[in-house]
Amino acid sequence: MAGAERVTQRQQDTNRAGLIGAALSLAAALIWPFQAWLVAALLGRLLSGEAALVWPTVAGFVALGLVRSALEAGSHAALARHADTVLATLRTEVVGGERRTLDTSSIGGPGALSALVSEKAEALRPYLMRYRPARLRATVVPLVILVLAFWNAWAVGVVLLLSGPLIPLFMALVGWAAKDASARQMDEIGSLGDLLVDRLAALADLRLIGAGKAVTDDFAEASERLRGKTMAVLRVAFLSSTVLELFAALGVAMVAVWTGFSLLEQVHWGGDVTPTTGIWLLLLAPEFFQPLRDLASAWHDKAAADAVQEELQNWRGQERAAMPGHGQGGVAITGVLALNNISLHRGDRQIHLPDLEIRPGTRIALTGPSGAGKTTLLRLLAGLERPETGELTLDGQPLADRLDDWRAGLGWMPQAPHFLARSLRYNVGFGASLGGEVAQAALGPVVQGLPKGDLTPLGERGAGLSGGEARRVTLARALHGAPQVLLADEPTADLDDDTAEAVTRGLLSHKGTLIVATHDLRLAAQMDRVIDLGDTQ
Amino acid sequence: MNALWQIVTLILRGQSKALLRGFALSVTVLTMGAALLGLSGWFITAASVAGLAGTGALFNVFVPSSMVRFLAMGRTAARYGERVLTHDATLRALSDLRVSLLRGLLAQPWRALERLRANAVLNRVTADVDALGGVLLRLVLPGAAGVLVVTGAGVVLAWLVHPWVGLWVAGMWLLCPTLIFVLGQRLARKPARRQEAALQAARSRMVDMVAAREDLAVYGQLSTAQRRVDDAFWREATARRALDAVERRMGFGLDMIGTLVVGGALAIGATLAEAGTLSAAQVALGALAALALGEAVAPVRRALAEVGRMTQAARRVAPSLTTVRAEPSAVAPKGVLMLDAVTSGRFAPVTVRVAPGETVALTGPSGRGKSTLLYMAAGVLLPAEGRVSLGGQAPDEEAIWRQSVVMVPQRHALIAGTVRDNLAMAGPSTDEAMLAALDSVALYDVIAAKGGLDARLGFRGTGLSGGEARRLVLARALLAQPRVLLLDEPTEGLDRETARRVMAGLRAALPDAAFLIAAHRAEDISQADCVIGLQGRAATGLKF
Repeated sequence: MAGAERVTQRQQDTNRAGLIGAALSLAAALIWPFQAWLVAALLGRLLSGEAALVWPTVAGFVALGLVRSALEAGSHAALARHADTVLATLRTEVVGGERRTLDTSSIGGPGALSALVSEKAEALRPYLMRYRPARLRATVVPLVILVLAFWNAWAVGVVLLLSGPLIPLFMALVGWAAKDASARQMDEIGSLGDLLVDRLAALADLRLIGAGKAVTDDFAEASERLRGKTMAVLRVAFLSSTVLELFAALGVAMVAVWTGFSLLEQVHWGGDVTPTTGIWLLLLAPEFFQPLRDLASAWHDKAAADAVQEELQNWRGQERAAMPGHGQGGVAITGVLALNNISLHRGDRQIHLPDLEIRPGTRIALTGPSGAGKTTLLRLLAGLERPETGELTLDGQPLADRLDDWRAGLGWMPQAPHFLARSLRYNVGFGASLGGEVAQAALGPVVQGLPKGDLTPLGERGAGLSGGEARRVTLARALHGAPQVLLADEPTADLDDDTAEAVTRGLLSHKGTLIVATHDLRLAAQMDRVIDLGDTQ
Repeated sequence: MNALWQIVTLILRGQSKALLRGFALSVTVLTMGAALLGLSGWFITAASVAGLAGTGALFNVFVPSSMVRFLAMGRTAARYGERVLTHDATLRALSDLRVSLLRGLLAQPWRALERLRANAVLNRVTADVDALGGVLLRLVLPGAAGVLVVTGAGVVLAWLVHPWVGLWVAGMWLLCPTLIFVLGQRLARKPARRQEAALQAARSRMVDMVAAREDLAVYGQLSTAQRRVDDAFWREATARRALDAVERRMGFGLDMIGTLVVGGALAIGATLAEAGTLSAAQVALGALAALALGEAVAPVRRALAEVGRMTQAARRVAPSLTTVRAEPSAVAPKGVLMLDAVTSGRFAPVTVRVAPGETVALTGPSGRGKSTLLYMAAGVLLPAEGRVSLGGQAPDEEAIWRQSVVMVPQRHALIAGTVRDNLAMAGPSTDEAMLAALDSVALYDVIAAKGGLDARLGFRGTGLSGGEARRLVLARALLAQPRVLLLDEPTEGLDRETARRVMAGLRAALPDAAFLIAAHRAEDISQADCVIGLQGRAATGLKF
């Protein structure tokens, strides 16, 4: 429970930083009435011909300005820290969560998840740093100024009150319209981005049929169409925020006009203003509306943050199987594997596996039609599947209990590997230097053909490698570190004869247990034992 | 900054009219804002003087009070217009930028273009373009409008109030924010670059961890992979903190400048008023205008926060925008396709000769250069040695070469849109020609069942099976009516019977074209007049 307490503690600290930041920004906003008073008082003294006290007043004004700027900076620092912690916590949560699960996420593939933790998570930052303090200021500052206005001249208070209560109403309208508009606008702009990605991805190949001009013309047209639609949405969105601004501007203008008339003694109602209070109220009036405008302009930050929060909730709500084992290496062990009455589901399909005993050093080919369970059996042995019934044991003990040590002695050759965006060397040895496996997997010529040898970075889907070359890299990785057991899934599928032969030679050069799932009869023929999984169904 | 400047000029050239109008309105908004507050201050103070003197009845209240109302309404209206116009201009600029990027990329070397298929690169390019969309709205327009309005206000204040007040207000508001921008921009450069690099690393490492999750688990590398993602995010957060600190310090500086400008205007004005040179109303006008001008300078903060990102984006995008637009100067080549002892250096030199109406197949294990030879024939890769020609003409200008030579690579490059949109990529053709082309590749019935030429495909052509997509790109190549058709594994993913029909259909549709095919399936090879096996370091030619 200590861990959970620590998390709660950290969350509290984080929330406190957020609150402090918002409070500091509020305090900064509340300094302005004092500064404004100094300005108004100085002008008032100039008008009445008293001693103006110019320098003390200006010094006070600047000193208060210094305090205000410092409070703003403090607020920014606290809010930035708050946002940093929130984002870091969230990223750790998602990265850790993905590392611990076996099933793929329903919110999308690697690209979608990576976008969620990187740029989408960033959308929370403006929300935390701008929207929340703006909301606090919008609830307090107008009230304070309203009280000051009524205290000095009730007419000004009434003017502000009349335009004020309308503002929450308009805020609701604006927020509603803006949310709707920004959602639609985001959709439009998003789809234009997608359209560009779509064209860019196809560009290399389209160029080969001379479609360059067609692509650009077509895209320009689509782009223009989307611009029209987006502008239609934006016009409405801007209109609603303009109404808000209009009220603010008229509010200020009415305060100025009433104060002027009152000072000229053209009006005799609404309170008694002196030149000083008149100027002071004029300086305060814009600040009555400013927090509301800040809040309105931060509104789409909230909309964006809400969308991300929703996606995170979906991510959290998924029921996903945990990744067996710790996935951090162990001390290699081996022994007699035994499968006993194992069955499991693959989608709607029920798979029964035959009872088997596999002694160290045996070479086994798993054959049978697609769907017979060849890959499933290999995945079970690698600890990537859990049997629903029956048991899988190593020297009589459940394999699951010793999975990390078992995996430490495993060479694994999946059918479609994903290469890491690192060097070929790292993809084979995971940081260890390479040895005999390069020759065993006939990787030499491949490495020689690469621009930077084995330090050439491999990209998505092994960018730059042909199918056969990629397979040899996978084989070299499986052979690396001389594993005791090698599991290979269709190692020769889709390869030309030469490459298939090289891969077969590489597999046979392995000294320990070898289990291959294959359709390749030539490969199967060279194993000690062939198990046809199709027979057992 | 040079790259950024290049992008700015590109946008300015394309959208000068819309921008000029947006700029005029920006200036109007700022001017009216400063005038509103300055006038209000003057009005109240002048009214006080008149009230105190007991001459209130003589004071002309109607001009200033209606001016105040006019400015309030006018500012709001101008603001609306400004927002609509500048957003419109920005969207136009973004659209222009995207189109020029597409055009520019088309002129890039083939290898550079090929890298674009990786999602990471694609996302980066689009994110960069989006970041550059803000160049006008947050950098150029506010900057230009701010300078103009502050200068103008300085002149007006010098005239209405006092030269010293005008000089102080305009000088400070111009000089200090500019200095802060230049300094902040320089200080933020390094952390901004680090932050971006770390975020990119985090992104790609996260992709790796999730995509290779199972393999990493089996190899005991999952914890390492997770740590690497966390590390990258940690570096990102560190750089981000440095950036935040720069932003905070510069923000503090800007705040303080605002205080100093207003305080200074007040001090200068009040001192002059005490000396009897100025009236209190003039002092109020100067101080309040100085205060209102803060709005003109406010965008510096936002610009500082984003200029780093924009500069980097510009640096990456700008090189792709330089296009050399040459009008085709020669006629489309025709005749015999010759690959004369060509090699990329990775295989032994190969000589291939394909006459019109002939079919030549290249066979051999993967990685021996079949596709490379086709790309050389397509004129997008240069052979390290040897020469490619068609009727004696070399592929010097891609636009001309493409009028005769068309290639269908292994992947199916389809785009989101209708079947017709996809077919039209090969050039304008009639519906009849399109349907005939579909028929040639045994796809007519499939497409008809999906709704004909108007059937919609998703991004990258989703909605068709692999074999259907394959045949659709073949049909598209037919519509280009090439003299030479280069095909890389044309019937991959098709069953034997369909493969045979497709190959026969292609030949029937283009009886006089030269076909050069990279193949390993018997169906592709069966109709060939000549098969060239690329075996190891030497090529062997077999004449049938």
